[in-house]
Amino acid sequence: MDKLIISILILLGSFFVLISAIGLLRFKDLYGRLHATTKATSFGILLLLIGVSLYFNEVHVYIKALLIIIFIYLTAPLAAHSIVKSILPKNKKLTADSAKDTQEKK
Amino acid sequence: MNALIPEYILYIAFAFLMLAMIITLIRLLKGPSINDQIAAMDLISSIIIGLILVYSVLISNAMYFDIPVILALVSFIGTIAVSTYISQKNG
Repeated sequence: MDKLIISILILLGSFFVLISAIGLLRFKDLYGRLHATTKATSFGILLLLIGVSLYFNEVHVYIKALLIIIFIYLTAPLAAHSIVKSILPKNKKLTADSAKDTQEKK
Repeated sequence: MNALIPEYILYIAFAFLMLAMIITLIRLLKGPSINDQIAAMDLISSIIIGLILVYSVLISNAMYFDIPVILALVSFIGTIAVSTYISQKNG
């Protein structure tokens, strides 16, 4: 039973990281790519960390896993925000699919 | 718990992570702007964290758990440094 839970957590975590890499390749503009890489990668690393720390089942491993989870969830939005703020002014326009929503409101 | 995980599960996880690494390297090579390349670099560090975690399960050695702590810290500082440099260079 423990084997099953740990295996499912590890497979799901690596699968979410793969999903975010596919999103990085397939989205059309930078905003969509950052949307893919920030959220799905954080969630995948979270699942992997829970699985691995359940496998070892020691106190210091749990503390380190908690540290990594807190740090990744604090810094991934900050890194994405900093990347978006550094974009060149000429690249600032969205693709046609992304711009459709904001233009219809006006 | 220390239940032995079957090895093929870990190899499938390795395959997922290496496929993600290859796809990210494609984006890193052909990324139109330098911001896409920074995003790809950020993702590569996360993939390496995942690889080290799966590898520590494969050899069942909890000592490897120190590396992701440092790697998460250093990759964040690197991303912030490069993107701040680019935004200040562009005025």
